[in-house]
Amino acid sequence: MNISLKNISFSYFDSLDDAILKNLNLEVRSGECVVLAGESGCGKTTISKLINGLIPHYHSGTMDGDVLLGDKNTADMTLAEISRVVGSVFQNPRSQFFNIDTDCELAFGCENLGIDPEDIKLRVENVVREFHLEHLLGRSIFNLSGGEKQKIACASVSATGPEIFVLDEPSANLDLKTIADLKEIVLRWKKAGKTVIIVEHRLYYLRDVADRICYVKDGQISHEWTPAELEAKGPEYATNLGLRCLNLEQLREGVVRQAHQPCKVPELVEGPQGSKVLDLAKQSIAKSIVFTNLTFAYHKKHPILDIDRLELQCGQITALIGHNGAGKSTLAQVLCGLQGSWRQKRVARKRGTYLIMQDVNHQLFTESVLDEVLLGMNPQNKEVALEILDDLNLKPFASEHPMSLSGGQKQRVAIASGISSGCDVVVFDEPTSGLDYRQMLAVSATLKKLAADGRTLLVITHDPEFILNSCQSVIRMEHGKFVEQYLLSGNEQLLVKMMQL
Amino acid sequence: MKLDPRTKLFLAVVANGMIFTAPLVYSLLMVVVTSILLLLEGKWKFVCTFFFVYLGAAFFFDLAKNLDIGTSGTIVLASLFLMYRIMPACAVLYYVITTTKVNEFLACMSRMRISNKVTIPLIVMIRFFPTVFDESRAIGNAMRMRGIRLFSLRTLKSPVAFLEYRLVPLLVSITKIGDELSIAAVTRGLSAETKRTCVATIGFRWVDFVVWAYCIAVVVMFLLRN
Repeated sequence: MNISLKNISFSYFDSLDDAILKNLNLEVRSGECVVLAGESGCGKTTISKLINGLIPHYHSGTMDGDVLLGDKNTADMTLAEISRVVGSVFQNPRSQFFNIDTDCELAFGCENLGIDPEDIKLRVENVVREFHLEHLLGRSIFNLSGGEKQKIACASVSATGPEIFVLDEPSANLDLKTIADLKEIVLRWKKAGKTVIIVEHRLYYLRDVADRICYVKDGQISHEWTPAELEAKGPEYATNLGLRCLNLEQLREGVVRQAHQPCKVPELVEGPQGSKVLDLAKQSIAKSIVFTNLTFAYHKKHPILDIDRLELQCGQITALIGHNGAGKSTLAQVLCGLQGSWRQKRVARKRGTYLIMQDVNHQLFTESVLDEVLLGMNPQNKEVALEILDDLNLKPFASEHPMSLSGGQKQRVAIASGISSGCDVVVFDEPTSGLDYRQMLAVSATLKKLAADGRTLLVITHDPEFILNSCQSVIRMEHGKFVEQYLLSGNEQLLVKMMQL
Repeated sequence: MKLDPRTKLFLAVVANGMIFTAPLVYSLLMVVVTSILLLLEGKWKFVCTFFFVYLGAAFFFDLAKNLDIGTSGTIVLASLFLMYRIMPACAVLYYVITTTKVNEFLACMSRMRISNKVTIPLIVMIRFFPTVFDESRAIGNAMRMRGIRLFSLRTLKSPVAFLEYRLVPLLVSITKIGDELSIAAVTRGLSAETKRTCVATIGFRWVDFVVWAYCIAVVVMFLLRN
């Protein structure tokens, strides 16, 4: 089904003066796969909302122009009618489920459309086979990993058989392996002749999928390329536009070239549980922090986390990688004294480890940025607090309400409050998920500064671009166990390979 | 043991009604049936905890109610009373929320000819509870890292600030999640106008009749006594 956006202007407010889309035109042919890219806040998500009818039917605002699906104007259709032709998948796997178990979720869309129950059963059987979901049937939504949830979301949308799929940053919470599965799903839709619109920061997995990449800037589509055209222009061109890399191979070469040194494999020695460990004595690293006895289990027989010893170098950024559900977040929580036995918690408190959560909204409590920092310390130390804020470029916002800041600023406020409570080890849970290139660089700069001040940083991440940009060493874990630890320099290829496995 | 959602609703209504009745025995009768149903669902952990706290509260209330304990003691006593009075209702709610699937509930509501305009907000609310608990736990974690605890000097000095720290981030995040949930529902065609179908089969079976009979018996007993 064709999609055409004609002279669209849209503002979330009462007048078109500060419109987010300005006189935008977009034609998508039937069966085409179009990626909408661009910096955060450029309006690409707004375009996706125009196509799935959330604008004008759900979000209020001022709109000018027409959105046609086939020959029908979305303004004349109801949301229920639009949902028959457009299927939507969103970024946050946590909040796009309406049911509490997978079986019901798969049937939910079909039931809403009033399809005959026997027919629904057939359709669900079909998508289960197509998407290989047999092992996920009959499970509670709350026990699925982010990647599994996203697969269920795609499958349940697919079951209703829409002609158009709209995906809004579907990969933000996924690891590289699950992203590869997502790619397969999109390819399947394309093969079936469906029209697919994807709003995305990560471009590399769409290199062989997309027919067109549309770059949105200042409320308009300012550039259009095929993936091959964009790749031919080189990585610098893309990063200048704030785009993430299109080709992981290119990224790898670029970084190896920048490193200016021949690849050398650092010596690995036998570690606990048969793992390979970096021989830290030979790396002449002055100081490191050792964590011991990192175990956690809900049931004794099935440990979620089982690590005897973990060594982090001071003043460095260490990346923690591993697949969705490998126990990375549990490790972070045990390190920071949020999970585990009474003794583990006491050790963590004494050590001073602080966790910057993925959703930083959870850890901002007070009415001003300054209060937020003072909360963890003696209120007389206002000078010290202001110094910390100044360090993180937050001084101009000292009297603002934390919730009124942007995502990156909020993250820095959370970091400032951690530092003010005297923590030297800072653990980050996916600090760059869903960020564009410039925002990622900003986070990277903040982290590098913290490390330069002698703090020890551990970053849980699925973002190879970020790791290559910022981290000095890498720890990989799988199934709650420590697998390997190595210095990044010289091992870039190993990293990308491991993340894709 | 699968009950029809309508039976569960009736059970919930009766159990809620009985917590306000004078002799404790009616409420206890509802506690018994709820516990049996929960045990049949394999929720023995919940049932054990429930009975431990429930009987504990009842015991201490009984112990303390004849003592002369002053104002602060009376406040504690009153909260104990409220606790063991309201707990049976919470147990029933827990049972209904954890065992009822969304589509079964929707189907039974439409069979009772209740408009989607009433059902859909209700179902959003039910779907919302587990998410709120999840969020609340994350915020509690963040507070612990900052050393803000319920049992601390700081909290004693300004209990209102403690509540604020807990509630402000919770409100911010649940507003967002509520919005995202409704978006997920409407883009997948849930609406008040279209008639839904349902793959789940709902209907009364003998267990339903047993539960209905039991509940009605309790109500009749209560009415006859008064």
